[in-house]
Amino acid sequence: MNRRQFWIGGLALAAALSAATGQAADPKVYKIGAILAMSGQASLYGTTMSQGLKLAIDEINAKGGVNGIPLEAVIEDHKGGGGQEGVNAMNRLLTIHGTKIVMTSFTAPTLAIAPIADQQKVFLMNGGGVSPKLVGSSKYIFHNRSLSSDLANGALLYAKELGLKKMAQIHWKNEAGDSVVNAAAPIWKKLGGEIAATEAVPQGATNMDTQIAKVRAANPDFIALWMFNPEVGLAIKRIREFGMKQPLIGIEYTPNDAKIAGNTSEGFLYINDYFQPSEDHPWSKQFADGYKKKYGVDPDFYAANYYEGVYIIAELLKRARARGGDYANGEVMKAVLIENPKFDSVYGGQMVFQPNGVAFKRVALFKVEDGKGKFQKFLDLK
Amino acid sequence: MDYLLHILVMVTLFVILATSFNLLIGFSGLFALSHAAFFGIGAYVTAILATKYGVAFPLTLFASVGFTAIIGMLVALPALRIGGDYLVIVTLALQVIVITVILNWNSVTGGTDGIRGIPHIAIFGSNLDSAAKMLPLSALVSAISVWIAWRLAHSPFGRSLRAMRENEAATQAVGKDVVAMKVQVFAFSAGLAAVAGSLFAHYISFVSAESFPFDLTIYMLAMVILGGTGNLAGSVLGAVLLVALPELLKFVALPPDVADKLRNVLYGLTLILILRARPQGLLPERASASAAAGETVPLAAVPIGLAPGTAGQVSITGRTLSKSFGGIAAVRNFDIELRRGEIVGLIGPNGAGKTTAFNLLTGFLKPDNGGVNFGSRLLTRLKPHQIVRAGVARSFQDLKLFRNMTALENVLVALPRQSGENLLYAYFAPWKVAREEKENIGKALAILRFVKLGEKAGERAGNLAYAEQKLLVIARLLATGAEVLLFDEPLSGLDPNTLEEIFPVVRELARQGKTICIIEHNLDVIRGLCNRVVFLDEGTKIAEGTPDALIHDPQLAARYFK
Amino acid sequence: MEAGSLLLQLLVNGLINGSHYALLGIGFGFIFAPTKITHFAYGPVYAIGAYATWAAATMLALPLALAIPLGIVVCALAGVASYLFLYRAFVERGSTPLVILIASLGLFIVLENLIGIVFGTDTKVVPDAPSNVILLGPIVFTSLQAAQVVCLGLVSAALYAFLAFTRYGKAVMAMTDNLEMARIVGIDTARVSLVAFAIGSAISAVPAILILLKEGATPHMGFTAVFMGFVAMIIGGIGSLRGAVLGGLALGIIENAGMWKIPTEWQSVIAFVALFLVLVFKPTGLFGTKARR
Repeated sequence: MNRRQFWIGGLALAAALSAATGQAADPKVYKIGAILAMSGQASLYGTTMSQGLKLAIDEINAKGGVNGIPLEAVIEDHKGGGGQEGVNAMNRLLTIHGTKIVMTSFTAPTLAIAPIADQQKVFLMNGGGVSPKLVGSSKYIFHNRSLSSDLANGALLYAKELGLKKMAQIHWKNEAGDSVVNAAAPIWKKLGGEIAATEAVPQGATNMDTQIAKVRAANPDFIALWMFNPEVGLAIKRIREFGMKQPLIGIEYTPNDAKIAGNTSEGFLYINDYFQPSEDHPWSKQFADGYKKKYGVDPDFYAANYYEGVYIIAELLKRARARGGDYANGEVMKAVLIENPKFDSVYGGQMVFQPNGVAFKRVALFKVEDGKGKFQKFLDLK
Repeated sequence: MDYLLHILVMVTLFVILATSFNLLIGFSGLFALSHAAFFGIGAYVTAILATKYGVAFPLTLFASVGFTAIIGMLVALPALRIGGDYLVIVTLALQVIVITVILNWNSVTGGTDGIRGIPHIAIFGSNLDSAAKMLPLSALVSAISVWIAWRLAHSPFGRSLRAMRENEAATQAVGKDVVAMKVQVFAFSAGLAAVAGSLFAHYISFVSAESFPFDLTIYMLAMVILGGTGNLAGSVLGAVLLVALPELLKFVALPPDVADKLRNVLYGLTLILILRARPQGLLPERASASAAAGETVPLAAVPIGLAPGTAGQVSITGRTLSKSFGGIAAVRNFDIELRRGEIVGLIGPNGAGKTTAFNLLTGFLKPDNGGVNFGSRLLTRLKPHQIVRAGVARSFQDLKLFRNMTALENVLVALPRQSGENLLYAYFAPWKVAREEKENIGKALAILRFVKLGEKAGERAGNLAYAEQKLLVIARLLATGAEVLLFDEPLSGLDPNTLEEIFPVVRELARQGKTICIIEHNLDVIRGLCNRVVFLDEGTKIAEGTPDALIHDPQLAARYFK
Repeated sequence: MEAGSLLLQLLVNGLINGSHYALLGIGFGFIFAPTKITHFAYGPVYAIGAYATWAAATMLALPLALAIPLGIVVCALAGVASYLFLYRAFVERGSTPLVILIASLGLFIVLENLIGIVFGTDTKVVPDAPSNVILLGPIVFTSLQAAQVVCLGLVSAALYAFLAFTRYGKAVMAMTDNLEMARIVGIDTARVSLVAFAIGSAISAVPAILILLKEGATPHMGFTAVFMGFVAMIIGGIGSLRGAVLGGLALGIIENAGMWKIPTEWQSVIAFVALFLVLVFKPTGLFGTKARR
């Protein structure tokens, strides 16, 4: 073989190979796995997340699917529990359903499946877990949920703006609550504030009278609620029943919380991903209406995140298919995401995935009036 | 494939957990609700050592086992002083404390975030980072763990555990140190749970408090009970079934929004239905195999086990014994002296303090005043099992047989100085234990024949006729080899024919030099057996003498004999 | 607010929570003591009491004065049904308590998930539950919290009278003392068990409905209820009404007043640490009742 022949042969081989990979390996259906709290104490989250996810899939399929291929949801249950449930679910998704696109939730199960995702190149989209520990836990994990620490940052900046000084904080005693406390304390001190009390409640412990009594005794200027549905509603209600009039600032307020707190929630301030279904944001409105029509209740923002997550995945599948070969996996999906990290957001406008994998969304301040969160203003967290 | 293998790995871990839990629940009757905590401690010790100090498997496993076993013993310690219901609270407390400490001790346990990045096991140059690679090792470790549990359960030590489950006081009364037994079985059970914990941490490579909730203990309890308490094969089956069942249910197609809750409903229903069909569990506890094998063992001579000495020699003395309960004196300044070869009757009306006197002599109660001497030894400071080993044993009015054990086992348990009760021998010199066990079966059978129960050796004690149960009580007491035998109403409720059979047995014991004291109401028995009678009333000895003299005492007759 | 009034407030909180635990303990104990059935499904049956009241008050729009008794009755029926359709068969076959415990676990799983399926997983609240804030110097509580304490008083008084003066009450006591003996002396234990399940479940509906009005109902609410009820009963000594009341109150007060100087992240553990220490030093139990096997 002379040199020339060698080159020709090599080129031919390369061409053959590229032809082989250029042929996209399409499945009959795109299975999107989801590992959610479908039963157990936290199953309210599983309910809304799976409902948002399924609404998106139905909408997309009604329009002919992605690349002409329908989507299918495969929902697994981690029971809101520890790592092994997540690993069970992940193994099922990989082995039985052969999907490498998984939407995940909660910190512990997500941390437990992260190594498997790395090994098997599984694309992970997290719209629920809030711990900063999740950032970078896998090569292939992305988050379309603002980290709670960012939200807390916003809350404290606003408290500073109001001229408040003494903060009392009540937080969930789990990774979600602790991660906020860990982020918030240094920020508040840097802002010149003072922490009068830090009280912990277990997730699901409906009784927090002790904590509130101690907070009251500390006589703070405002109370920060570093906790999530449904404890937010309960905390608001009990704090007001204790006769405390101070401003309450939180990082979540769902319809369920609104129901529990009733009229005691008037004036509650919270920082959250900006979500305001209105004429200005047709997609938001379309989603909220569609959700209400299908399920009879207003969506909370977890439903929105998983709804949106499906659309992101659909877009990535479109882009990834153009690359050809076996494309429905973490390696390719990640590459095409990084290429152009801008996506339409159901929250209105666009969101941008930052290099750490967390989507940068607009964050806004809301105030509860007549039981509903009213948009006050956008917050610049940079 | 990975999925199936992963489930199999989880099965191997839960097999360890269920079998080790069965040691507590099924074999020892210790209702401890802290098994998830032991599992969690094992997992965390491995996680901390592996991530912070770079310790590798199998050192992590050994450390987990050691540490958790110590915690298990610490829990057992207060639990030893308290009975049933409160053991539940102490172990629940451990569960809650362990989880709270994990959540709050941030610098060591990572707090609520848990610990991630635990390295997989590397062995023979292979990194066990998948279910396929992990399975052979976890299966091997699981098999070894089951073997360890099996050795323990089926050794003479395990037999004593089952006796303790059946009746703790009776177990002490045959000379077993129940405190030491509880500490050991807690250590083993906790240590084995830690084996599963250590493997779990390496395999999942992430631990957090959510993985070890109280619910998990209940789940393991379901495995043990569904499989069958007191049967290790049952626990293996229970673990396989309850790990596999939810996974199998995933294949049942259901409306997706409620699918997982409906699957849980089916899971709950399955649990109920299995228990309805098999109320003893899938594999009920079986009588020990040795009972059946017993017949082939050569018979030893009746091992009455006499110490040298002569008839008439004083063997046990109680001096000025007093005991009161809440200000009411049950026994007051009670003096008693028993001699070898003599049968003494302790009589008196109900509530006279006869049983209390026995309790004081045998250490089941500590006297407020006075002391008990046996030969040159002061018994008052000793615990009941030590007193039995020293040579003073008693029976109970309410029999306290080990009802779910065979007649042979009831006697076997009582035999003293069994090397198989020492777990070091059970594991490291099994041949010695096996040889001795053969001899012991021979001895036990001989004792059963001596009381004419040879035919019933394989029968469950609870199934014996009442008279046979009374004979078995005598046999069990004899088996302790004690020199002083205190019988609490051994013959009440028996018909005259049976009495005629038993009298010679008791007389023969005395003839061979045993010291015998009998609490009895039946005058025929007293006249027929006793050399001397002590009359107790309102806690005080009011007369002592030959049976005939006392029975003909008009004063006593008025008070008691009517 | 000075530290002294904080302690006072915590003691009041403790009394309120303790009353809740005590009610749970009484109800659980009333079933356990005579029947020896570890009624794990007490939790979801308790939840059924809350959900039935909620359904009556919102879906049927009944006034609370009707919805509450209805909830109690439904809860009692659920308890009776659990005995009739589950436990009775096991008891008749002479199953061991552990087997019945796991059967009860099965029922727990079934009921809890059925509640989630039927009612959904969101929190159910009765929108205009009456709750007035009451101020006593530095102490704050609501009328619903006061009701928790008052209900404990009423329920335990009624129960005391029932046990002391009625035929069934005496039969329950006899079974509590010795189940075998009760059977021998001719007590229809199956029937008395039914009564125990009916009354015990009805008692549990009281704290359940108060929680519904105070905080709302969730499918999982029964788990803590059966756990704390169990603990309160054991602390107080099985078969003792007084014990369950004192046990529940002690739990509540330790959990609250104990947090006076200790950070609240230790709240879930403090009662157990206290119990642990008490049992180490006084192995016969908290209130002198003898530990039973």
